[in-house]
Amino acid sequence: MPSYLFWLFSTIMLIGGCAVIAFRNPVSSAMSVVTCFVGLAGLFIGLSAFFVGVIQILVYTGAVMVLFLFIIMLLDLTDEQKRAKGFAPLAAGLSLVIAFLVQLIGILSNTPDKVAPPLDAATLAGAATHFSQGGIATALKDGRLPDVQLIGQTLFTGYNLPLQILGVLLLVATVGVVALSKKQAE
Amino acid sequence: MPAYYLEALTVTLGLLLLLAEAFVSSKSKAWVGVAAAIGLVFILAFTPFAIGPDASPGSGWAKWTLWNFYQFDPLSRFYKVFALVTTILVVLLAIDYRKILARYTDHPGSENGTGEFYALPVLACSGMMWLASAKDLAGAFVALELVTVTFYILVAFMRRNVGSLEAGVKYLILGALSTGFLVYGIAWVYGSTGTMDLDLIAGMLEDGRSASIPLTGLLFGIALVMVGLGFKIGAVPMQVWIPDVYQGAPTPTTAFLSVGSKASGFILMIHFLEPFLSSELTRGPVLKLIGVLSIATLLFGNLAAIPQTNFKRLLGYSSIAHAGFLLLALASGAPGTDNGLGSAQVVSVYLATYLLMTLGVFFILAQVRIQRDGESITDFNGLGQTNPTLALALTVLLAALAGVPLTAGFIGKFLVFQLAVNAGLWAAIGVAFIAAAAGFYYYLNVVRAMWWVQPGQKAHVTLPLISKACVAVLTIATLVFGIWPQPILALLK
Repeated sequence: MPSYLFWLFSTIMLIGGCAVIAFRNPVSSAMSVVTCFVGLAGLFIGLSAFFVGVIQILVYTGAVMVLFLFIIMLLDLTDEQKRAKGFAPLAAGLSLVIAFLVQLIGILSNTPDKVAPPLDAATLAGAATHFSQGGIATALKDGRLPDVQLIGQTLFTGYNLPLQILGVLLLVATVGVVALSKKQAE
Repeated sequence: MPAYYLEALTVTLGLLLLLAEAFVSSKSKAWVGVAAAIGLVFILAFTPFAIGPDASPGSGWAKWTLWNFYQFDPLSRFYKVFALVTTILVVLLAIDYRKILARYTDHPGSENGTGEFYALPVLACSGMMWLASAKDLAGAFVALELVTVTFYILVAFMRRNVGSLEAGVKYLILGALSTGFLVYGIAWVYGSTGTMDLDLIAGMLEDGRSASIPLTGLLFGIALVMVGLGFKIGAVPMQVWIPDVYQGAPTPTTAFLSVGSKASGFILMIHFLEPFLSSELTRGPVLKLIGVLSIATLLFGNLAAIPQTNFKRLLGYSSIAHAGFLLLALASGAPGTDNGLGSAQVVSVYLATYLLMTLGVFFILAQVRIQRDGESITDFNGLGQTNPTLALALTVLLAALAGVPLTAGFIGKFLVFQLAVNAGLWAAIGVAFIAAAAGFYYYLNVVRAMWWVQPGQKAHVTLPLISKACVAVLTIATLVFGIWPQPILALLK
């Protein structure tokens, strides 16, 4: 990924993220989340994670956030009231963020840069040795990246147990949403 | 029986309870809690028969990729038993607390909204059991989130009570922040070592490949993960949520948070730190970090507990204080040997004694809350005159929390001090002595209210049957393990 694209998408993400909390109108905040996710998708695609990048746009930006917008509009939320903020909490928050940033910059300057191997035909063919015969191995030998199959393979074989736990987690979250938002019976 | 059956059974039990609760029309929902407790006791009976892949290398299941995410050793078994026992007691506590739950969930007159309150702890229990077997940071993270998300719901469960909702929002926001730190830390550890498998990390740190690991980045990752886990266990400076959330949450949830959530944070911390404590590269800085955390936690938890007037809030500060002692045991960094107890074993013994005392106190607190309609220390006034047996049990439990000799609490504190002395952490020992002395003051303050203050117009407090049985068992266990701790030690061997 050319570095100017990385900086471009990172800047979009950061601006989107800051705008979420800066806007007082919930619809504007939700749109800022969309901006943030578009930048994130760009980063994923730049890192050759094409499938994840596309899913990020389709599922999060396209489906989840649009649903959020619908709900916000249905509820007809008004702008958040402007609250008087004291100087002390603001200063404390800012100083924590700055301390964290300074530390991060110090560590990043101490850490050697690693260059990711280019995703060319030779690398892909080399990776094919990890897989026995099958669609994945054939595609890799041909110099294509079967990322959907690779993600599926990883999720449903190697990472099967975490996937099952995630299933339980989603169920718990659903039950919780119903239990907490149920209309009160008379 | 392969060990992963235990979690599978627990999840199945949780699903069955959710289904049954939805389809059985019954006015009272207490039977869901009774069924949950019976089911969990049933699963608990299976734990001695659970085996890992080493015990049966020939069988088909021993070769599954599942074992990349799941380990089974005596420590894992101990924490699985711990999670099950905690959940059983919390569910029993919830049964006796259902009057308050019903008042603030659906219609005040019906128990319609309370069924999930018995099923969700069972699912959280499965998450804690998976955490006890954590071996890979990705799997551990997912299990930890299962526990945390369940707690978000359980904390805000009394949705028509402002305090509970406020606690729920606070816990959600700070929990999300801590998750952010945890994931960022895991990303740094992964970026530095190239793997999330703790065994592989241990291997890399040992052999010649360690030169290729960027040490600053790895230490930064460890520090960030410790921040994330610090939220779970309530270590200073990540303890800010504890007093408010403990006070606002329904009492069974508070009990579950202070015992179950803390224990799962500690077992994950023990598993996570193991590779870094056994390598000379990272051992020094990591021990220093835990030492500083432990001193800050001991000081803050104990000194801030002194002026408290609300008993539930006091227990929140007390849980911070106990986290300080547990961190002190970890800071000694003693590896377990055949004859002596290592840091991980001492933490486990301490948590086991902490479970007995804390849950016992919560059982009594819940009934005082219901029958005297208040949770402050003054609501315990004159309990010694109106119900001397109950007051005696609470006195024993509070004395054990303070660490009076001949109670289980003393054994835990003694083992921690022993480790710290062996490791020569003199500054921390000094702070821990001040902390323990402060503990005597604020716990015995409640004892004073019970025995030396007149009850005034306060109602008579009597325990219902389940609470009475649980308090009796927990109090007697506190006394028995104070003299004879061998059963807990045997569980760890």
